[in-house]
Amino acid sequence: MTDVILEKVGKTYPNGYHAIPSVDLSIEEGEFIVLVGPSGCGKSTLLRMVAGLESISTGELRIRGERMNDKEPAERDIAMVFQNYALYPHMTVYNNMAYGLKNRGVPKDKIEEKVTDVAQMLGLTELLLRRPGQLSGGQRQRVAMGRAMVRDPKVFLFDEPLSNLDAKLRVQMRVEIRQLQRKLATTTLYVTHDQVEAMTLADRLVVLNKGKAEQIGTPMELYNTPATPFVAAFIGSPSMNLIEATLGDKGIELPDGLILPMEVSHAHRGAIVWGIRPEHLVVVSEQEADFALNVQAVESLGAETLIHGVVGREPMVVRLSGPHLPEINSTLWLSAPKQHWHLFDANTQQRLSL
Amino acid sequence: MIENRPWLTFVSHATLIVGIGLVALPVWMALVASTHPASAFGVGHIPLWFGDAGAETWGSVLFEKAGNGVDTPVFWMMLNSLIMALGITFGKIAISLLSAYAIVFFRFPFRNLCFWIIFMTLMLPVEVRIVPTYEVIANLDLLNSYTGLTLPLIASATATFLFRQCFLSIPGELVEAARIDGAGPWRFFFDILLPLSRTNIAALFVILFIYGWNQYLWPLLITTDDAYYTLVMSIKRMLSVTDGDIAWNQIMATTLLAMLPPVAVVIGMQKLFVKGLVDSEK
Repeated sequence: MTDVILEKVGKTYPNGYHAIPSVDLSIEEGEFIVLVGPSGCGKSTLLRMVAGLESISTGELRIRGERMNDKEPAERDIAMVFQNYALYPHMTVYNNMAYGLKNRGVPKDKIEEKVTDVAQMLGLTELLLRRPGQLSGGQRQRVAMGRAMVRDPKVFLFDEPLSNLDAKLRVQMRVEIRQLQRKLATTTLYVTHDQVEAMTLADRLVVLNKGKAEQIGTPMELYNTPATPFVAAFIGSPSMNLIEATLGDKGIELPDGLILPMEVSHAHRGAIVWGIRPEHLVVVSEQEADFALNVQAVESLGAETLIHGVVGREPMVVRLSGPHLPEINSTLWLSAPKQHWHLFDANTQQRLSL
Repeated sequence: MIENRPWLTFVSHATLIVGIGLVALPVWMALVASTHPASAFGVGHIPLWFGDAGAETWGSVLFEKAGNGVDTPVFWMMLNSLIMALGITFGKIAISLLSAYAIVFFRFPFRNLCFWIIFMTLMLPVEVRIVPTYEVIANLDLLNSYTGLTLPLIASATATFLFRQCFLSIPGELVEAARIDGAGPWRFFFDILLPLSRTNIAALFVILFIYGWNQYLWPLLITTDDAYYTLVMSIKRMLSVTDGDIAWNQIMATTLLAMLPPVAVVIGMQKLFVKGLVDSEK
């Protein structure tokens, strides 16, 4: 069953700024959707429009079939977790979690039952009488989630909830959020700028760029067949090597006269963007190589090695598993297997199928 | 910075002791004078140690009519002062909380203009607008009443401004979280805003109470009935004797009594006061 539907939803600010032209998205019940994009792409605005904290200028938002455009946030049956948690500093953890229920006139014993349940699930039982100021960052994060969970909302909204945690805690909370969401099976909309978070959490991803949904799909769809160079560069770390090239008679003509031979149908000739992911480049002998990489910098991470260099004048990154220590300025012979190529039309920015 | 220089400790202590002496001396003199007969002050030298008329003076000050044309006892005037000071304080706090709430959290046309108009009244204290204010109060038939004593002094640009700054420092996410939690404007005000500005309210309470207690000109103007005289203005009235001795001992005792409530408020609320001025626990 479709739970949340955004139909041509757009946002124009009173000063005329066109933050979001038009977004279409339908979310299945229990689905985990991640909105991802660089800062200023409108992902938070979109989330806040679903929450009712920003008005919807055009289009329609429906939750379980009901039009929500003009409803107050409290009437939409959503719960939100904020970036800075937004816990009430003068209330205990218990009251923080109970406040929403209290305002809805839920009887006291019911509130207590609910809060105790959720606290137990999140491991907050011992902290119920403390105030937010006495908690660590991770604990506050959990209380914020607890506050959202006690209400059993139709939709969870997360606005970059992990960006204030340190790296280790972030990984731990990421896993926890995923498990909780599976267990509760509540439809979730999650905003982040971190593509690792996006890839690991999402059932489906929405990549936003300048208020436009560049591509909507499962993490693997986005990784394997990015629709635009923007998505290609955004998903995957380190990001895909993208080189502006021309599709000519003999194949792909990279700058500096390098040619990657391929059969070309007439329809596609012209300016293109050629891309290959760092992990798909292979080190080979000089005879088999497609091109030579001049090594500029090496990042050894133990399990893998990132080699930054230039092919001609184009920068390129190679990702090799295990430790490698090529010398700076040495030459690395690389082959780019054809099945891993990504081609995009340079004008329309759309993916070309090979 | 930790310094360990004995002479520095000595000098700083000496300075503080001299300072305390300077500030406390007049209070001490008032206390001493209240134990001497009324004439002791008039002869030229000022006694520095207690005399033997203490019980008599304090007895008459506390239990008899204030004298010199004032028909009410001192404790009654104290009560008047207290009613006026508390009325002004609570009135100011309530009004400026509400106006700051409106200015910060609601979007309405000419919102900024409203704020600046309120802010401009800083330039119009009672002393400046005393004639028109008197006329208004007289026309409303509020002379010789507690309402007349407090109402014209209640509007406060300073307090509004202070609360505005305090509210502005409350993060927007908190407001949004409350909205999602289903808190309407009143709930938000009472459940979240008030507890969060608790220390600011306390700090303002101290300042405003002293301001209200020390009002002199306004009560002098609008009270003609002894029953509404406040303590601070009565001291002046006790001084203006046309002929005969000024009862310095009684005046000093009354002065000391007039000092007590503000001192009590400052001491009692000093922790919250300091916290409200320096701390932001948001």
